[in-house]
Formats: sequence, C-alpha cells, structure tokens
Amino acid sequence: MDGPDAVVDGRRPAADGLPNSGDLPNSGDLPDIDGLPDSGDVATAGGLSNPGDVPNSGDLPNSGDAPDADGLPDSDGLPDPGGSTPPRVRPLSGRAAVLVAGAVTLPLAALWALGGLSGRAFTTWQTVCVAVAVQALPFLVLGTLVSSAISAFVPPSVFSRALPRRPALAVPVASAAGVVLPGCECASVPVAKSLIGRGVPPAAAFAFLLSAPAVNPVVLMSTAVAFPGDPAMVAARLVASLAVSTGMGWLWLRLGRTEWLRPPARRPELPAGGGRWARFAAGFQHDFLHAGGFLVVGAMAAATFNVLVPRSVLGFFSDSPWASVLFLALLAVVLAVCSEADAFIAASLTGFSPTAKLAFMVVGPMVDLKLVALQAGAFGRAFALRFSLATGVVAVAASALTGWWLL
Amino acid sequence: MRDLLRSGLLLVTGTAVLRVSLVSDICLRYVKPGMQPLLVATGFTLVAAGLLGVHRAEQAAAHRRAARQDPPPARDGHGHDHEHTPRVAWLLLLPALALLLFAPPALGSYTASRDTAAPVEEYEEFAPLPRQGAVPLTLTEFTARVRQDEERSLAGRTVVMQGFVTPRADGTWDLSRLLIACCAADARTLTVTVHGAAAPPADTWVRVTGAWHPGGTLGTAGAAVALDVTEVVPTPEPPLPYLDRAPEPDPAEDAGA
Repeated sequence: MDGPDAVVDGRRPAADGLPNSGDLPNSGDLPDIDGLPDSGDVATAGGLSNPGDVPNSGDLPNSGDAPDADGLPDSDGLPDPGGSTPPRVRPLSGRAAVLVAGAVTLPLAALWALGGLSGRAFTTWQTVCVAVAVQALPFLVLGTLVSSAISAFVPPSVFSRALPRRPALAVPVASAAGVVLPGCECASVPVAKSLIGRGVPPAAAFAFLLSAPAVNPVVLMSTAVAFPGDPAMVAARLVASLAVSTGMGWLWLRLGRTEWLRPPARRPELPAGGGRWARFAAGFQHDFLHAGGFLVVGAMAAATFNVLVPRSVLGFFSDSPWASVLFLALLAVVLAVCSEADAFIAASLTGFSPTAKLAFMVVGPMVDLKLVALQAGAFGRAFALRFSLATGVVAVAASALTGWWLL
Repeated sequence: MRDLLRSGLLLVTGTAVLRVSLVSDICLRYVKPGMQPLLVATGFTLVAAGLLGVHRAEQAAAHRRAARQDPPPARDGHGHDHEHTPRVAWLLLLPALALLLFAPPALGSYTASRDTAAPVEEYEEFAPLPRQGAVPLTLTEFTARVRQDEERSLAGRTVVMQGFVTPRADGTWDLSRLLIACCAADARTLTVTVHGAAAPPADTWVRVTGAWHPGGTLGTAGAAVALDVTEVVPTPEPPLPYLDRAPEPDPAEDAGA
C-alpha cells in the first residue's frame, strides 16, 4: 500500500486537482468528516483512552456502525475499487521509515567513527542486517503472494461464510486457523492485511496475524527439536500463543479504534482490460516493495541491537524470576529472530527459568523490531505502536500464567 | 518512468538474491543451507515480477496515451498510487547492492568474543574413539566428551579440530565455531581455549592438534574446555561456515559426530 498518511497529518495534497476541503462525499477526508481533525494523529492520540468519537469508517456506506466489528473501509474488498476510493497522498510513512533507519544507523556510525567500535563491528552489523533480510525475504514473498492471491481471486463471501458471524466467535476461529500458514512472522503481516481488505473483521485478522507465526507445524516441530524430551514446552507455547492471539483479538473488539488503522491503500490502478491475474501481479509488486522496505528498517534495527548488546550480559538478569521473564521478553523484541529459530535460542539460554524461555518464544513471533516495522508499513504507525505494546504486555502475562501452570 | 524504476528495483533485488543463492553459495554466510532453494525461488519470483512490471509499464504508457485523447473524469486521481513507488521501498537497495557488490563476510571472532559459549547437547553415549592416532573431532563433540563423558575417553588422547581464531584480551586465544539455527542473527558460539601456541591473526581458520588441557575434573561439568596444542595449521574457510565439522583426514568420523 502506498502509505496514505492522510489521517496522520490531517492534510491532503490536491492530488485530484480539487481543493483540499473535503468536498468529495466519499473522499479520504475522514478526519474532517468526523469533526476531529487530528483524531488519528500519532503524536496526539495517546493511549487507549481515545475519546469515543465515531470511527472513520462509520460514514462509509457499507461498513456497519459498530466501531469494532467490521472495522475498515471497504475499498480494498471490492473486486474493482472503482470510484468510491479516495485519492491517496504521498506516503509519509516512507519518509518516517527512512528517518527511523537513520536514527538507528547513525549512532552506530558515530560510535564507529569515534573508534568506539572496530571496523569488524561494522562488518558484523552488515552481515547480521543482510542475514535478517535474506532470511526473511522468502517468507515475505510467500506472504505477499498469498495476500495478493486473496485480494485478486478470493471473493469476500468466502470469508464471511467461513468465519462465524459474530466477531467474538470469529476471533478464536481465526486464531486457530493460524496453523495453516507455515512460515515465520514476515509472511503473516501482508496476509492479515489482505484478509481485512476482504472484509474479515480486523479483530479476527489480528488474531490470525499473531497466532500464525507461533503455532504453525514448522515452528512447533522446531520447538520440539530444540527442547528434546520436554513436550510440556511445546504445549505451553501452543497454549500461550493461542491465548495471546485470541485475547488480543477480543481486546481489539473492546478497545480497538478503526482510526488507528490506516485505511487500506488501493492497489495500483491497472490499464484497462487488466484481469484478475494483472491485479494479482500488480498487487504483488506493490505490496512486496512496500513491505520489503520496512523489512530492511527492521533488519537494521535488529542488527544494531545484535551488535551493541553482547549476549554475555544475559547472566546479570537470570537470577530474579520476574526480571528474567521481562528481560527475555525484551530480548525477543530487539533480536527479531525468526520464529522458526527462536526455540533454539531459547534452549541455549541456560540459567533462565523455563517460564522466561517461554516468554521469549511467545513474545518473539508477535512483537519484534522487524515485525513492528512491517506492521507500521501495513497498518500505520498509530496502530503498530499501540498494538505491539498491548501485545507485549498480554504476551508476558500469558507466558507467566502458562509457565506457572504447565512448566 | 516510475513504473520502470519500480520494476528495476524488483529486478535488482531478485538478481542480488540469485547471485548469492544460485550463482554462488554466498548465502550460506547468512542463512542455513536449507534456505538456499527457497532463496532461488524467491530470486526467480522477484525477477519475474520485475519483468512483468516492465511489460505492464509499457501497457500503462499506451493506456495513458489513449486516455489523453479522451479526458478522464475528475476522479482520475487514480493513477496516483501507480505513479509513486512507496518511498520506503528504496531501502531494499541497501542489502541488494551489498549482496551484489561486496557481500559481507560470515560472522567470526567479533561475534564469538562477545558471546558466552553455548552449552552443547546431552550425549546419551559416546562412540568409542579410534584406538590410535589423532582423533578428528567437532568442537561440539570435544566439549561433550570433556564435560559429560564419565569414561574419560579423552584422557591421554590427541585430537584434531578445526575452527577460527578468536583472540582474547590477555594474549591467549580460543578456537571458535559459530552455529546458526536459521540465520546469522541467531548465532551461538562454541569455544575451546587454546594453550601452548601463539595466536594467529583473528578470524584465521586453523586446524589444531593437541590434547586436553587439564583443568577441573575430566568428564564433569567443571572440566575446562581447553586444549594443549602441538600444531596449528591454517586452512581455508569451509564452505559451510556455520556447520561444526571435524577436520578432513577421517571423513568417517564426521558422520559419527
């Protein structure tokens, strides 16, 4: 998607040649329509206690007025976006991503220049950064292929039939459906986005987004291999991950605001006569490039922490049970290890309690730097920050409870 | 024009992936060997998408030329997304060009020196060592025999191991190996402290011959994972840098390890 941050800064270039005054009934001036110019502003809309204003989607014809249930504007869900979709603005998110990348990279470069880090450290940074990106690319391609195929070939009715009508029931079903997408977390972000585009309630799509990288067979197998003779760990991972994804889905139903979500961008317009395959190809090209850019941001951030934080500091935190759980959860966020590999890391963290290792494996596939970057690209920063923060808290709590129960 | 740039970006990224996975084995510096076929498929997919994009751009140009004769309605803000490559996408050029132009090396002593040695798996039993001669061992098996083998099979034996050099601050050095589970970001370190030889340059791959350096009680968790070396021979970097293998002389031992 083209990162339309129209909501974020509340202004809109006159891309269509019309004045920027919200005179198109169906245009993207949602902030103007609901009377809260900055309702979606990242900088000002703090916390979960957003005033209960009418969500943006409420004024679109076919989205219900329940703020939580069907969430997003419909545009992407229609086979042909047609004229109901507003023109989009240039992506500010791209600029922001470059800024983030710079903010992450510059301290490293400065340290290096000052002699604080050797040239080998910089080489190591490059290697780790490239490694994270190379490792994630196949999964990102897979995820983008699946999501483009969903958008191009699967009519929305398929999902409305497959999922229970009530969102509260659809959430656990979607969470359990995460079993079918083998791969790591990079694949699930574009898929979740396309599901929302096809009319799946965001709460259910987010449950899927969180559970898919954690409970698919490949990941469970690698967990079993990493913890030989310890099936309780596999069970605990499955239980805790499903609990977190379901819990977050329900939490979204209760507290989620659609204005945190950037409205889905339209796929690039096709030449006349472009069929489903052309739409599939164009969607893939566009979505892959967009997500790929954010992947690089995440890889840079993860590489920076990987180089700056030596693994040997782990020893300081392993003594206190609570600190160790929190510390390993935080480590999972900054290391951004692929969910297929994190069990091996967790197993190698000797000296930590099983519950702390469980927290590492539950948090990692749901919240990490790479993933936050990808989510910011797909859904917007306002969403990514809140959602990741809440997910982190819920995941730590669920890990602690599950660890106490099963391990 | 922008369509062409965008397609070019896909082509460059795809070519870079193919360069390190299909044309060479460079990708093994970054990811586990099992990823290589996936990377080849990824490279082809991206190149195909790029070529298709070029084709589509030509179609779109023709479309626009046609549209100029027949002015579109005002809502034709449409072409907009089409015109702009998401700006963040250009960041893909960084890793792509890095792979195409110089390809960063495999991780080495910098990573090993900042990590604590990873524990090795529990061995249920140890195969008997060859009766005589120097025994080629992986660092994993050496560590396991030193710390777990109650039979003390290493007592009085000479072993041969291969790894890279990680110098220590005090002038001594370690023989190291890095193991990865998925990609280089999750590298774990295996370390054998070397006694009795001056440190070669950091990151040199070497084959060392020596005997267990006494420290603690052999066969218990307190035993020092260390070696008194008699010979240090530089070797080329192995093609699979993150696979802990015993040195060549006795391939049969590799399989048993």
